Amino acid sequence: MSYLPNWSLLVQAFLLLIIPILLVLLSRVIRKSLKTSMDSHSKPEKEIGLTDVPISGTYDSDIASIRKAIGDQADVWIREMVIRGTEIRAALVYVDGLTDNDLIDTHLIAPLILRGVAEEHRTSFLDSPLSLSTYLMEQLIPVSEIKKVTGLQAFTEGILFGKTGLLVEGLPETLLIGSANGKSRNVEEPMSEALLRGPRTGFTERLSDNTGLLRRHGQNESLVLTKFEVGSRVKKSLVLAYMRDIVDPNLVDEVTLRIQNIDIDDPIESGYIEQLIEDNVLSPFQQLQNTERPDRVIAGLLEGRAAILLDGTPFALVLPVTFSMLLQSPEDYYERWIPGSFIRFLRFFAALLALLAPALYISFISFHPGLIPTKLALSIIETRQGVPFPSFIEAMIMEISIEILREAGIRLPKPIGPAMGIVGGLIIGDAAVNAGIVSPFLVIVVAVTAISSFTIPVYSAGITLRILRFTGMLCAAALGLFGVVMFFLLICSHLVRLKSFGVPYVSPIVPYGLSDWKDLFIRFPLKSMKKRPFMFNPKDKDRRN
Amino acid sequence: MSGINNGPKDQITTSQAAVMVINYMLGAGILTLPRTMVEAAKTSDVWMSILISGVIILVAGWVIVKLCRRFQGKTVFQFMPEITGKWIAFIISMIIITYFITISAFEIRIMAEVTGFYLLEGTPAWAIVMTFMWVGLYLILGGINCIARLYEIILPITLVFFLIAILLSSRIFDVNHLRPLLGSGIKPVLQGIKPSLLSFTGYEIMLVTTAFMKNPKKANKAMMAGIVVPVIIYLITVIMVIGGMSINGVEKRTWPTLDLVRSFEVQGLFFERFESLLLVIWIMQIFSTFTVTHYAASLGWSQLFKKNVRPFIFAMLPVIYLIAMIPKDINEAFKLGDMFGNVSVYLFGGIPLILLLISILLKKGAKPN
Repeated sequence: MSYLPNWSLLVQAFLLLIIPILLVLLSRVIRKSLKTSMDSHSKPEKEIGLTDVPISGTYDSDIASIRKAIGDQADVWIREMVIRGTEIRAALVYVDGLTDNDLIDTHLIAPLILRGVAEEHRTSFLDSPLSLSTYLMEQLIPVSEIKKVTGLQAFTEGILFGKTGLLVEGLPETLLIGSANGKSRNVEEPMSEALLRGPRTGFTERLSDNTGLLRRHGQNESLVLTKFEVGSRVKKSLVLAYMRDIVDPNLVDEVTLRIQNIDIDDPIESGYIEQLIEDNVLSPFQQLQNTERPDRVIAGLLEGRAAILLDGTPFALVLPVTFSMLLQSPEDYYERWIPGSFIRFLRFFAALLALLAPALYISFISFHPGLIPTKLALSIIETRQGVPFPSFIEAMIMEISIEILREAGIRLPKPIGPAMGIVGGLIIGDAAVNAGIVSPFLVIVVAVTAISSFTIPVYSAGITLRILRFTGMLCAAALGLFGVVMFFLLICSHLVRLKSFGVPYVSPIVPYGLSDWKDLFIRFPLKSMKKRPFMFNPKDKDRRN
Repeated sequence: MSGINNGPKDQITTSQAAVMVINYMLGAGILTLPRTMVEAAKTSDVWMSILISGVIILVAGWVIVKLCRRFQGKTVFQFMPEITGKWIAFIISMIIITYFITISAFEIRIMAEVTGFYLLEGTPAWAIVMTFMWVGLYLILGGINCIARLYEIILPITLVFFLIAILLSSRIFDVNHLRPLLGSGIKPVLQGIKPSLLSFTGYEIMLVTTAFMKNPKKANKAMMAGIVVPVIIYLITVIMVIGGMSINGVEKRTWPTLDLVRSFEVQGLFFERFESLLLVIWIMQIFSTFTVTHYAASLGWSQLFKKNVRPFIFAMLPVIYLIAMIPKDINEAFKLGDMFGNVSVYLFGGIPLILLLISILLKKGAKPN
């Protein structure tokens, strides 16, 4: 009888059961609400005034309807003229700032006003107005990109997107001439992914530049660039890049499906795309890799992965991604294999430090001072003598202030940033120790942790580890070393459950596979890496022929 | 959105199957094995008992694999009705499930005791156990493939740290503690077999996991590797512990392995004492034993009643917890463990053999090619 559980045990058992059930229900509710909010989206209504009417051919009414549609836009210019040698009126419609004015002057206005229709052709247009447009396209206007449009809406849309429209009296159609010259910057070294050795090129904000960078990387026929249009209100081009004879076709299908399901008014940056197509919204880990480096994208494509480039951002997305990839840098491959492996090993170690060091500090100081060497324990305890806080609060103070410092350093203009780091890091740290708020040993721990987290080559992965570090500190504060072990197991459990486009997030660490391990902790010599990673299930398994 | 590489069913590779057996076997036993064996045999020759029982377990494991391979893609709960008929199968399945639940509870209790004693004095046991079980629950909900993958992460960490900790104790190793060889004859060695058999429970998980293997033909290999690695580890442990503390010292201590690692300090290394390291990996091992038994029990229920496994996983939480809290103190917990260890010898040594014989005689199931 005495073995029957008492009430408090039963209550505990009940709590044990009910809390995870509630959590599961909660996560289900969150997921569902995310789904429905995406489904119950209404298409934007067509803008009033842009009703699609055909171009009539009557110059005055056409120009009036164009003015009515887009004439009130401050940056739309209409340049009217008469084509030389005829009495035919014409108008160029373009957006100031989107178009190349030189090109308009020399290649559109000059031929139309100065050259006009040659004498021997003049009479032939009187009866058939359509051949005039053919004549304009084929003989008069020396521009590569030119096409005929019949609807007013298509015409105005083209103009607003940077084309120059040509309306000609008597023609029931218009010409759209490619003259786009949006501002973009030069190809520069990417700020967020600087390398000592490796190409100094980074993507720019213009999609055609970026796809060009990929094409120009080297001659190869299997690179496929598929274009999509995303965004319901603001339409943007998105390019899915992959190697036709390497990538797993299922991956392409899956990504295509997810891209087509994107429903948002305007994907401003590729971060939008990332968040809209990722597998698990609730995970702290990123499931797509962002990069500014064309070489990195190409390397990914050659492994059998796919990349997404969005117009208007220099950040490409490479997918799928696994945990170990976030700790790899292109430099690992550009350097010889021994330094490459060493640095990579160092990085894995640093990631571990960045994740666990403060948590271990808290658990050893607060819970198990007996488990660290006696002399070390004594000296730490001695330095902690005047500290009025428990080690958890102490570590939190330092960690939070260093996070604030880091955030402040990013916002500050470049010349002030380093100064800020010195003031914050050195002076505040020193003053905090002198004031007796924190112990010097902790300052060392926090500094090492912070520096370690900077070694992670993918910035967003560094943020993930920083967030998790705080969770780890909480676990350590609650349950000591046991809490840290539980925290580690929880993260591992999460990682083994997580998938990025069907590829387990912890591959290639597990399942065990010797071939994929050649590119894990140690970067084997290139000559020995004969196979593409199995985890991406590539069609062409061999790196060499 | 579902993944794209998902097969129709969760599958595990051969090495994953082996790792599951290893991680299941290396559980609570590793801290107590030297004591239980010395208590039973009263000789320093107990390491021979480990070798002998390793061979016995290999045979038992071979029988289990042989049996499972006759019924491809089915777990023991699914194929037993084909051999024995519905009702007997139901009873045996219930016993197996109860066994899994109890082992799960036992491991948790031992974990709580050790953690409460060495790491978290004063922390209530429920706080330790609940955290532990919730993390386990989160893992189990991912299915057998996730479980196997986590074990693959844990195992190398365990092996490296364990070997470091135990081999460093060679500084207090005295070979005289192991002498004389067979000084009291062969009989004590045989007496030591029984307690060592108890710590080898774990191979029975193949009754379930063979069904999930991508390549069931290699189940034998997985079983072999799964048994040999723990045998080696147990062998090293027992030899080092007895060599370091002598059988008299071993007998008096509840957790001789832990005490061995506590008993020496290495100067000049960052860590002077390695018990924290040993405890960390040991908690991970207990975690894997707990999760696999919890999962096996839930899977058993779900296959018995042909229902989804998830509700059973949740339902097992309070059951395991209450059973874990039944023993009033650590000695009762050990008794519980011993009792179910004995059960396991008959349950997984005897019954699979009988089932195999019946299925061969009645030509049930496909003959493995």
